[in-house]
Amino acid sequence: MARGKGGRYRVSVDIGGTFTDLVFQDAKSGDTFTGKVLSTPANPAGGVLEGLKTFLPKDAGLEFLIHGTTVGVNAVLERKGARVALVTTRNFGDVYAIQGNDRRDIFSIHYRKPKGLLRRRDVFTVRERLRSDQSVEEPILLADLDPVIAAAKEGRYDSIAICFLHAYSNPVHELAAEKYLAERLPEFPVILSHRVSPEWREFARSSTAIMEAYIAPVVKRYLTTLIQELKRTLAGRELHVMESNGGAMTAAAAREHPLQTLLSGPVGGAIGAKAVAKSLGRPNLISIDMGGTSFDASLIVDGQPTLSGEAELEGLPIQMSNVDIHVIGAGGGSLAWLEGGNIRVGPRSAGSVPGPACYGRGGTEATVTDANVVLGRIDPATFAGGRMTLDVGAAQAAVGRVARAIGLGTEAMAQGILDIVNAKMADTVRTITIRRGIDPRDFALFAYGGAGPMHAAAIAQQLEIGEVIVPVHPGAFSAWGMLHTDVMQEFKRTYYHLWDHVAPAELEAAYKELEARGRESLAHEGIAAGKMSFARTADFRYEFQEYQIACDMPSGVADKAKVRKAFDAAYLKQYGHANAEARLEIVTLRVMAIGKLDRPGIVAPRPVAVPPARKRMVHFDGRRHETAIVGRLGLAVGKGVKGPAIIEEPTATTVLPPGWKATIIKGGHMSLKRVG
Amino acid sequence: MAKRATGGRKAANGKRVARKAPARRKRAVADPITTEVIRNFVVACAHDMNAALYRSAFSSVIYEGRDSAVALLDRNGQTLGQSTGVPIFVGNIDVCVRLALRRYGDDLAPGDVIMMNDPYIQGTHAHDVTVLGPIHYKNALVGFAASRAHWQDIGTIDAGSTMGSTSIYHEGLRFGPSRIVRKGVVNQDWLDLLRTNTRLKDVVVGDLNAQIAAIKTGERRLTQMLDRVGVEVFESAKENIFRQSAELDRAAVAAIPDGTYTAEGTLDNDGVSNEPVVVRVTITIAGDRMIVDLAGTSGPLKGALNCGREQTISMIRLAYKAMLSPNTPITGRSFPTLEVKIPDECMFNARDPAACEWYFTGLGLLADLMITCLGKAMPEKAIAAQYGDSMVACFVGADPRQGRWIAIEPTAGGWGAFKGSDGESALINLCNGSFRNIPTEVYEVKHAMKMEEFAIRRDSGGAGRWRGGCGVVRSYRALKDVDVSLWFERSATPGWGIVGGKSGQPPIIAIDGPGIRSGALKLKAQTIPAGTLVRTMTGGGGGYGLAKDRPPEEVVEDIVEGFVSVEGAARDYGVAVDPRTLKVDEAKTAALRARM
Repeated sequence: MARGKGGRYRVSVDIGGTFTDLVFQDAKSGDTFTGKVLSTPANPAGGVLEGLKTFLPKDAGLEFLIHGTTVGVNAVLERKGARVALVTTRNFGDVYAIQGNDRRDIFSIHYRKPKGLLRRRDVFTVRERLRSDQSVEEPILLADLDPVIAAAKEGRYDSIAICFLHAYSNPVHELAAEKYLAERLPEFPVILSHRVSPEWREFARSSTAIMEAYIAPVVKRYLTTLIQELKRTLAGRELHVMESNGGAMTAAAAREHPLQTLLSGPVGGAIGAKAVAKSLGRPNLISIDMGGTSFDASLIVDGQPTLSGEAELEGLPIQMSNVDIHVIGAGGGSLAWLEGGNIRVGPRSAGSVPGPACYGRGGTEATVTDANVVLGRIDPATFAGGRMTLDVGAAQAAVGRVARAIGLGTEAMAQGILDIVNAKMADTVRTITIRRGIDPRDFALFAYGGAGPMHAAAIAQQLEIGEVIVPVHPGAFSAWGMLHTDVMQEFKRTYYHLWDHVAPAELEAAYKELEARGRESLAHEGIAAGKMSFARTADFRYEFQEYQIACDMPSGVADKAKVRKAFDAAYLKQYGHANAEARLEIVTLRVMAIGKLDRPGIVAPRPVAVPPARKRMVHFDGRRHETAIVGRLGLAVGKGVKGPAIIEEPTATTVLPPGWKATIIKGGHMSLKRVG
Repeated sequence: MAKRATGGRKAANGKRVARKAPARRKRAVADPITTEVIRNFVVACAHDMNAALYRSAFSSVIYEGRDSAVALLDRNGQTLGQSTGVPIFVGNIDVCVRLALRRYGDDLAPGDVIMMNDPYIQGTHAHDVTVLGPIHYKNALVGFAASRAHWQDIGTIDAGSTMGSTSIYHEGLRFGPSRIVRKGVVNQDWLDLLRTNTRLKDVVVGDLNAQIAAIKTGERRLTQMLDRVGVEVFESAKENIFRQSAELDRAAVAAIPDGTYTAEGTLDNDGVSNEPVVVRVTITIAGDRMIVDLAGTSGPLKGALNCGREQTISMIRLAYKAMLSPNTPITGRSFPTLEVKIPDECMFNARDPAACEWYFTGLGLLADLMITCLGKAMPEKAIAAQYGDSMVACFVGADPRQGRWIAIEPTAGGWGAFKGSDGESALINLCNGSFRNIPTEVYEVKHAMKMEEFAIRRDSGGAGRWRGGCGVVRSYRALKDVDVSLWFERSATPGWGIVGGKSGQPPIIAIDGPGIRSGALKLKAQTIPAGTLVRTMTGGGGGYGLAKDRPPEEVVEDIVEGFVSVEGAARDYGVAVDPRTLKVDEAKTAALRARM
C-alpha cells in the first residue's frame, strides 16, 4: 500500500475485542489503506494511539477522526456503570422492578427476569401526578426530593434519573425537580426521562433514562481521556463518535448524550453498505457481517439502513433509534455437536479462546472454521494475513470425530457443517425480510466481516439471490463504513391523535418546532446551514393496533389523504393486507436532522503486484476441484475471475464456487454472480 | 377426489401420495445434514408466522398479550414446528387440522382457509379462533399452516368476556370447522355472520386477516423449502425429526425413578356456586411411560370452569414439558409415552352445554399439582407453586370518540422458590407466558380510568429457606361510571411451599366507592360509579425449605429491598430486626426461632 509522506487523512477506528482496525483515507485523493493493532481493553485509547502512531504517514495531519465505542455497552455487560438513583411518581416506585412482568422463556418455570441496573432500595418516590391530558392533578411536593439529595451527599450515588408518569407530554414536574436538585447538588449528573426520550410507556422510558444515567459517567470519563491524549494529534480537529442510529456526533456532543453511542459498535458496516449502495446505484442490499462468534444481518432499503425505534440491551428496553441489526450466534467459532445421535451446529461457540481446533490453542471440538480448513477453503499459511498458522491435522481430527459418530466421511461432514450454518444464516435473512414484506430475491447480498465472504455465495444460493457484493477491505469494513457517515440526530415526540382529527397546520407547526431544535443542535455541532437537511417521518397505525409503521412525511403542510394512501400502501406491502376503512392513528413524530460532512469520493484501490495465482485442490459439492488461488489486491477494476476460486486479501478470504464469476467493479468492490 | 371426501376418513395419509409418485423408483431420503437444516427451518418458519401475526393483529390481547399460537403441520395434521405466545397452546392446534381434514377430506384446494372455535372439540373457549389453511405443492396437499388467536369479542352475554356464564350458549358464537375462504374467495356470508355476532366488528375482521397473513407466510416459506429439497426428502427428514424428538422424550421419562405421585388442591368456587372445586392428579412413572390420571377431580360444573378434553391434554403436556424438556422444539411425535386418563364425568372433559369461558383456572392448578408431583420424582427440578391464576380485571365503558372500550388484562403475581433461588416477584402466571402489563401511560390515555398504584406486595411471598416471590398491588380508579368484572382465584389453595416452605398469601380485592364496598374475588359486570377505587392484590409464590433456616442477613436484605416487613421478619422468619438500625437482635432471634 503506497503511503507517501505528508498529506491529510481521514481516519476511522473500530475497536474490537481482540483487534483494533483502522482505515486511513487521503482527504484529497480518497485513496485508502488499512491497519490493525492489538486492542487494549483496559484503556481503549491506547490501541487508538498506537494505531495512529504505527500507520499514519510521517508529517501527515488528521483531517477527521471517528470511532465506534463499546465502552458504554461493556459497562452494562460487565455491570461496571454508575450507581444510579431513580426518582419517580409515588405509588409507582416498583415499575422498574416489575418490568413488563412477562416470561420470555415461556416454557421455563425457573425463569428469572433480566437483572435491572438498580435495585428497589435505589428508588425514591415523590408526591406528584399528571393526567394523560397534560393537566396537573397533584402538584409536585419538592421536599420529597430531600432523601435522595441526602443519599447523594453521602456519596451513595453517582447519578440520578428522573421519570414521572406522563412526563413525555408534560415535563413540568421533571423540570421542577431538576431545578430543585441543581440548587442543592450543583454539578451532580441528573437525567430527565422526557429529554432522553419524549415517548410514552413509563417502564421503557425509565429504563432508557436509567441506562443513560448508568453509562454517562463512564463514557464521559473515557471520552475526556481520549480527547486529552489525542490533543496533539488532533491539532484542533474534533474527534467524532459513531451513534447507534448510524450517524456521527462530536465527542463533545457524545459527552452530553452518551446513550446515543451505546450500540454504535456494529453500525459502521451498515453505513458502509449504504455508501456503497449509493455509489453503485444499488439501493437494496441485504448486509451480512460474519465474524468469529456472531452473524449480523441488516437491510438497506431504498438506499437507507432500516432503523428501529426501540432497542434492547441485556433484556432492558431502550427507547432510541438504532440501525436494526439482527444477531444470531453463528460464526467461524460455532461448534458442531451431537444431540440424540444427530448433528447440531451453534449457537454454542468456541470463542477466540480456545477457538477452533485448527488454532492449536487447546480447542478439540469441530467448528465452522475447522470445516472450512478441511475443505481446503482456507489456506493454513496465509490465514489472518499470515498472522497465524493453522493446524490442518487438528481440524481434520476434530471434524472426523463428529463424522464417525453419525456415519459420514470427514469431508462430507465438513460440508454438512457448512450447509447447516449457512441454512441458519439464510433463515435469519429470511426472517428480517419477511417481517418487512420484502422478497430477498430483489436484493443483492452484501458480505463482509472476516468470515462473511467465505460463506456469502452459499447463502445467496439458498436465498436465490443472484449477486453478492464483497466490498473493499471486507475484514475492516466496519471501520471503512465510519468514514462515510454524516452527523445525524433524531428529534421526536409522542403525538397521539386520530388522523381524522389532526389539523395539518398544527402538525406542520409541531414538525417545524422539532426541526428548529435540530437546526440549533446541528449548528452547535459546527455544521454550516447549507449542509443541513431534515427528514420527517411519522409512526402510524390503524386504530386499536399497537405496532406502528414509520412513514416518510413531506416537508411542508401534509396532504392528509395522500399520507393516508401512503400508509395503506406501506401496510399492504408489509403484511399482505390493508384496511382502507379502518381509522388511522398517528403516534410519534420524528425528524432526522442531518449534517453533511465533507469527504472525497470512493476510489478503487490501485492494483499492486501480488504473487502469481496458485492452484490447490478444494472441495465443492462433494468432490475435489482444482481451484485457482488469486490475490485480490492484484485485480484492477473490470478484471474477472472464474470459479472455482479462492480470492485472498489481507483481511478476508472470498470463496467463489464453481459456476460463479467474480468481477472487480466500480470503487474496487467485487461482484460475484452465478453464471452456470 | 370429491367422492373420497364423502367416503370417509382415509384421506390425507401416505397412500395417496404414494399413488401419485412416479412409478417404482427409490424414494429420496434425507441425510443427517438435510434433516438438521429442515429441523431448524420448521422452527424459523413458525417464528416468521408469529411475527406476521403480531405485527398485523388489531387486538392488544394478541400483539401485547400474545394470546396466540401458530404452527406448521404435515399433511396428516402432525406438528412440524410451532411458536406460541401463551404456553398453554402447546398441544392442541394439530387436532384442529385433523378436524378440518375429517370434515373436508380431499375437498381442500389451494387458497382455502378454514376456521373453528368450538371449545368441545378444540379445547379453550370460544374466544380462541383457530384459522388454518392447506398448503399444496405441485397440486398435492403437503401440509397445513395454522394460527390461533384470542378474539376480543365473540358475542358473549357480557361485552368482552363473561364472568357468570352457566352454559356454552352464554359464551358467544360457536362454530366447528368452517370454510371462510374458498380458493382465495372470501365467503361474504360468513364474514357478515361474524360481524353481526360481535360488538367489535372491525377489530374481529382485522384479527382474522392477521391470522390469514400468518398462514400465508407459512405457506410461502414451506413452498420455498420444497422447491429446494423436494417433497420426498422433506418427508424423510420429517420422519427423522419425529424419531429424534420421540427418542429424546422417551429417554427423559425413562430417567425418572418409577413410582406413583399424587397431589390435590381446591379452587374457591366455579363462579356461580360456593362449592369448592377439587382438582386431583396422580402421576405414575413406569419405565419410559408416564400416566397422568385425573380421577378424583370434580365432575361437570355449573359455572364456566369446565375445559374441553383437548385443552386439558395440552396443559398436561405443558407441565410435562416444563419439567422434562423446556428447550426442545415440539413435533408431531413429542410426548410419545404420555398417557392421559380423564374420567367421563369430569370438569376437564367438557360436553354440551357445559360453560368453558374460564377453562384455564382449573388448568393452572392442574399444572402446579403436576409440577409438584414430578418435583417429588425429580428433586433437582422441584419448585414451589406459583400464585396460580390469571387474576383478570376487566373494565368496560363508553367513550364519545371510539364508542365502547374494553380494558382487560391478567395480573402478575409471585412465583415459587426453588433450591438455591428465591421465587420471582411480579411475574405473569404459567398460562399467560409472555403477557406484558399495559403501561399506565397507555392505559390512562385509552380508558376513562386512573391507575393509582402498581407495586410489589410486601410480605406476600411464602416464607422458606428460599422465599416465594411476592404478588403485586394494582389499583384502578374509575373516572366515569364503568362496569367492572373480576376473576380472582386461589384463596383456598394459594401458591404452596415445598420441602417445608410456607404458602404465599392469597389474593385480596377491595372495592370502595360511593355506595359500594366489596371484597368479592369474582364479580360479574357490576356497574361502579365514577370515583370508585378497585384495589387488586395478587398472591405470592410458595417458599422452599424451612423459614428458620434462612440466614438472618438474607432476611435483612429482604427488608431493605422491601419484600419483607420488620414485623414479617419476626412473624414468618423468627428474625428480630431493629426497625431503625436494621441490626439483627441475635438473642431475640434465637428465642423466636427456637419456637418455630
